[in-house]
Amino acid sequence: MSTLAPWTLVAAREIQVKLTDKNFLVGTALTLVLLLGAMFLPALIGGGAPSYDVAVTDESATGVVDQAQESLQAADEESAITAVDVTDRAAAETAVLDGDVDAALVGGPGAWELLHDGGAPTGLDGALSEAVSASAMAANAEAAGTTVADLTAGSDLAQVDLAADGGAMTGPLAFVLGFAFAMLFYFAALMFGMQIANSVVEEKQSRIIEILAAKIPTRQLLMGKVLGNTVLAFGQLALIAAVSLVGLTVVDLDVALPGLTQAILWYLPFFLVGFLALACVWAAAGALASRTEDLQQTTMPLTMVLVVLFVIGLYLEGAWQQVFSFVPVASTFVMPVRIIEGDTAIWEPVLALALALAFCALTITLGSRLYERALLHTSGSLSWRRAMSLSKD
Amino acid sequence: MLELHGLSRSYGEHRAVDEVSFTVPDGRMVGFVGGNGAGKTTTMRMIMGVLAPTAGEVRWDGEPVTRADRVRFGYMPEERGLYPKQPVLAQLTYLGQLHGMPQASARERSEELLTRFGLGERLTSKVETLSLGNQQRAQIIASVLGDPKMLVLDEPFSGLDPAAVDQMSALLREHTANGTPVLFSSHQLDLVDRLCDSIVVLHAGRVVAQGTSEDLRASAPLRYRLVTTGDTGWVRGAAGVQVIDLDGPSALVQPEDEESAQRLLVDAVARGGVREFSRIRPTLSEIYREVAA
Repeated sequence: MSTLAPWTLVAAREIQVKLTDKNFLVGTALTLVLLLGAMFLPALIGGGAPSYDVAVTDESATGVVDQAQESLQAADEESAITAVDVTDRAAAETAVLDGDVDAALVGGPGAWELLHDGGAPTGLDGALSEAVSASAMAANAEAAGTTVADLTAGSDLAQVDLAADGGAMTGPLAFVLGFAFAMLFYFAALMFGMQIANSVVEEKQSRIIEILAAKIPTRQLLMGKVLGNTVLAFGQLALIAAVSLVGLTVVDLDVALPGLTQAILWYLPFFLVGFLALACVWAAAGALASRTEDLQQTTMPLTMVLVVLFVIGLYLEGAWQQVFSFVPVASTFVMPVRIIEGDTAIWEPVLALALALAFCALTITLGSRLYERALLHTSGSLSWRRAMSLSKD
Repeated sequence: MLELHGLSRSYGEHRAVDEVSFTVPDGRMVGFVGGNGAGKTTTMRMIMGVLAPTAGEVRWDGEPVTRADRVRFGYMPEERGLYPKQPVLAQLTYLGQLHGMPQASARERSEELLTRFGLGERLTSKVETLSLGNQQRAQIIASVLGDPKMLVLDEPFSGLDPAAVDQMSALLREHTANGTPVLFSSHQLDLVDRLCDSIVVLHAGRVVAQGTSEDLRASAPLRYRLVTTGDTGWVRGAAGVQVIDLDGPSALVQPEDEESAQRLLVDAVARGGVREFSRIRPTLSEIYREVAA
């Protein structure tokens, strides 16, 4: 005799059916491809780190180019400016016009000229201008009997970051990340929630539910279904998160990583608890329908709630944002955004999680009660109110 | 042995099943007969614990039936239920596992039965792509997985061709031969007559007749057919005989007892030639119509 609990069999079946479902696999693969595309496309179009060739006619020009190269590499070590020796100004002009080099540096100290064909690349222009002005300033300082260091003493503006955890992000990156978190939860909750409701109604509609209900307690059936789909949702999320993190490292956006990792670590438990809080309600919505066609109607309240919370999560600000970051399920949308923006004390997400967990216990109890009552009710769809008043039998 | 004691189920004012009591002895096949809405499905659902009775109880081997007992009951519900989009072998394996079988033996047994019933080539086909007859076969196989202690089958033969009926009834016979009690409902009375050791007739939620088909026939009213050489109109005046039908030389009569029948025959011989005088053996459908009237 097998010692496996029935719910593990149910959960295994849910997962196995989904993993052999072509639509699901293609959908997941497509999401990952889009994600990678979004990360790599800008780099591909930008052609990676810039590299310039500059024609020079003498050593003083080569010196300026080398200095520009140093300052450019300090910002991005893969970029490069290379000096290309030519015989005279005419040869330099020809090289520029033929496109053999990006620009040419001619003249000499005090009379530098940058020759280009309709505009020099901004990065190159900036680096060379800086190098020219630095060497000119050094020469002038020496002539005046002082040094550049003395001239510029006290001119630096020091930066002090007062954000609590130091990992806070602001501006567009924070917004994009908050949006991505909300979006991921919204889609996962909707997709796997619908999947739970669907698999419940499939059992009702095909009447296999009678065989199952005679074999195992319906609570085990519900548990297996919810846990199986939670594993799937969480697995898909982990895959997306992993691909994103690896992708960010590869395309050199990893400067944002420390703050990002912290935000993701907080986001995961919120995702899990938010998902579980709704899972049993989705199952109940499935049980209220008796045919797939009824699902639209019985799942409507849930879909509406998710849409509203999604919008709230993105656009709420100030005090309202703080209030909603503690409201169960809404907290999954709002709290991660606050964490990203770095304005939370450590107790805030902890409290929000505790509240969400308590709510989760409540919805699991109510949802499973509704599920059990409506499960064997096979004629027509039930209203939420009517199902509440059904006797248990 | 399965026993039902005063099992009842009401929906509001309506009593769908009313004090139903009968027994399915070990190794016996009991046919459960009744019209649409007679309460067969409701009764079977209560046996399986899918529906709670309003009154009465189901007993297994003398004790009130438990969930542990029911897990070992094979059940085929009235409305066919298998996952339409899952391959048939994978699905039967899953159901076998829920029945408590280890995965390997569930798979092995399912494959063996599917092959035996001509579905050996369709193991990986989705259930929805199978013909209705084949879905029905898969459904019956699902109910016998895991060496069930009892079989409760709601209309197992509907939609099967005669060859399939023979195959399936042979499968059920194997189980009764091992001592497993089998209860199945059917509209096909001739089939019930042929297969079952005894019959329970349900009408409007009540048991109106039960016993072996011999018992039922014996309890049916005594009838004779009389065919004479002349007109049989005189039979109307015969003592102790009720005329059911009269048509020229032929009469269908219901004598009060065997003695009245013999007297009628003597009368007939005295009045002229007798071509036929025969006891009518009612068919099960006739008995059914009688009790369910």
